[in-house]
Amino acid sequence: MSMNDPIARGLASGWNVVDASKLTENQTVEADVVVIGTGAGGGTTAEILSKQGFSVILVEEGGLYYQKDFKMDEQTAYATLYQEGMSRTTADGAISILQGRCVGGSTTVNWTSSFRTPEQTLNYWRETFGLEGLAPDVMAPWFDGREERHTMAPWLTPPNQNNSILRDGCEALGYSWQTIPRNVNGCWNSGYCGVGCPTNAKQGALMTTIPGALDNQAQMFHGLRAERLVMKQDRIDHLQATAMGPDGVTPSGVTVTLKANHFVVAASAIGSPGLLLRSDLPDPHNRVGKRSFIHPVSATVARMPAKVEPFYGAPQSIYSDEFNFKNGHDGPIGYKLEVPPLHPGMAAGVVPGHGQLQRDNLGQLPWLQSVIALLRDGFHPESPGGTVSLRDDGSPVLDYPITDYLWDGIRQSYLDMAEIQFAAGAEAVQAIHMDSAWYTSWKEAKAAINELPMRPHRARIFTAHQMGGCGMGSNPEESVVNGFGEHHHVANLSVHDASIFPTSIGANPQLSVYALAARNSVRLAQKLAAKS
Amino acid sequence: MPDQPTLSAETTPQLSRRSFLKTGVGGALFLGTVSMTAGLSGCSTAPAGRISAVESRMNASYQFQFLSTDDIALFEALLPALFAGALPEAPNKRQFEIAATIERIDQGIVQFGAPNQKELRKLFDLLNFAPTRIALARVWSDWPSVTTKEADAFLNRWRTSRLGLLNNGYIALSKIANVAFYGHQNQWHLTGYPGPPAWMVDALPQFKNA
Repeated sequence: MSMNDPIARGLASGWNVVDASKLTENQTVEADVVVIGTGAGGGTTAEILSKQGFSVILVEEGGLYYQKDFKMDEQTAYATLYQEGMSRTTADGAISILQGRCVGGSTTVNWTSSFRTPEQTLNYWRETFGLEGLAPDVMAPWFDGREERHTMAPWLTPPNQNNSILRDGCEALGYSWQTIPRNVNGCWNSGYCGVGCPTNAKQGALMTTIPGALDNQAQMFHGLRAERLVMKQDRIDHLQATAMGPDGVTPSGVTVTLKANHFVVAASAIGSPGLLLRSDLPDPHNRVGKRSFIHPVSATVARMPAKVEPFYGAPQSIYSDEFNFKNGHDGPIGYKLEVPPLHPGMAAGVVPGHGQLQRDNLGQLPWLQSVIALLRDGFHPESPGGTVSLRDDGSPVLDYPITDYLWDGIRQSYLDMAEIQFAAGAEAVQAIHMDSAWYTSWKEAKAAINELPMRPHRARIFTAHQMGGCGMGSNPEESVVNGFGEHHHVANLSVHDASIFPTSIGANPQLSVYALAARNSVRLAQKLAAKS
Repeated sequence: MPDQPTLSAETTPQLSRRSFLKTGVGGALFLGTVSMTAGLSGCSTAPAGRISAVESRMNASYQFQFLSTDDIALFEALLPALFAGALPEAPNKRQFEIAATIERIDQGIVQFGAPNQKELRKLFDLLNFAPTRIALARVWSDWPSVTTKEADAFLNRWRTSRLGLLNNGYIALSKIANVAFYGHQNQWHLTGYPGPPAWMVDALPQFKNA
């Protein structure tokens, strides 16, 4: 392997990285701070704390995969880099959950879209959850800092055809559209962000904060599942962790005990509430796991007269916020419009179907274009989110009932997306819904979509953004952590990931997680320094 | 991607009238009972391990870690319907693609982790245990005797059923099989996907030997 890869080079230089599947004996390790999770939140926290001179241990359940493993192959990537081998769904199976499970977390497999938390969202949090410290002007420097750290900037290369169609359709109808900022450096514009960046261009945690932490003597265990935080009196004493075996998913039986002065949970909006519930931590108002949000995602697919090749080129470069905040918080739900890349495995998997019809549809892949709507859940009383709970074996599962309010939004999003695709010249449009046919005109689509049954398992709904479950707020009766991610009831515990969001973001959440984790980690470092 | 639906036309009427079978807790409890009964009454639920060249219809080097011999027979019956028009016509090639897809299905399920494996075990047991196969799938004979036409009719019944649990079963079966089939290099040509750009493969170190 080329030594140009920062991970290969770091490992060769003696980084303190342990593949827990290779451990044969139980052990106990100590540090100032244990950080659980290596994604957007965990990586940021580990880098900031280790640069301040604190000893840090990073814990990651997934494996360490890097350039040598990123071969632009869907099947390998889905099996190794995603939660539950890409089979994760909500409790009733009605919503597919795309989420990373590897060093770097979802930042290793996301499509690089990098948005600041919208001002409307921050203002809503201030008004509704007493989060005065998160006003847009207060947060601005933290967004600046993270945009620099992760090399985020609007994508200057012309969009691929897949994204151009969203732009053209919006233009034709007089809808607003804009260019997406991406966290890339020297991007080859290939289209393989979702299966692990093959060229190291993506500036996710794997290429930035994880090497930054390890260069500063942080230790990392991967293939190690955080099982339980164990309290002694009113503080967390240690984390009990279980090593995965060689297959990466079956525990080997070896355990690792991690002791620290402070613990930061950054295991994602499903993993973090799961860990807190398993640990039976104080939760007097029964808030852990509640108000879990997902940006429910609906999709339509268009057949275009000319080749789109939706598998090549930067996956996301154009978005439209035309419908995102136009109804305010009290009206029908808003949504952000974006475009997904379409590779054959993903297309065949997210659009269930079979036989000749499926084969004929997939055979048109080079001419297919898709638009997705990310519904901004959590802002309206009829959008209370879902609940993370534990299965019998202690693993976390998200139950997410789709309310009539959300169904109305999903139907409206099908209509808006279809209209845009026809305006951009589509020959035919189909809703990603089990009962949708191909519609060959906007008029036909409009009439048919208005009649589609809005029910689980009929409309295909997805999520790539899990948020909430350990929500922040000033009132401990309504939240799990305060505005700095500090647990209301356990002094040496912080939560630094998307689980602290009190609503969804209304935009792809990675920059929101980076910025809050950075702000809260700087505060944590000051507090820890003052104590020592 | 579905064609025009015939909602509920094919749904077992006596089942629609009963309310015990729902998604969620009721459905899970029901499937759990089926799974236990299936195990007790002799359905093969143990991983098939390494099966002989004759049984596997190809080389015998693959070690099954999740699918049982009954599950393999189930997929051998379903795959020709799931991939109608997409499988090669030549018998040898056709058998090879079916067997290879079933192996990739097995590999994929290993990565799903224990909780999802448990749910799949219940689904496969339901389909392999004669009483539930007949009652819920309305498939009268054992899977090895089921024709492609019958398998297709079963898939359509579950796809268009009014019961969310059966829709979910259809989605699980087709999703697992579709990713294992269309996601693999051997089938890329069917979708018009040319694969990773050659100029990148040529330029990147991870594709170079040693």
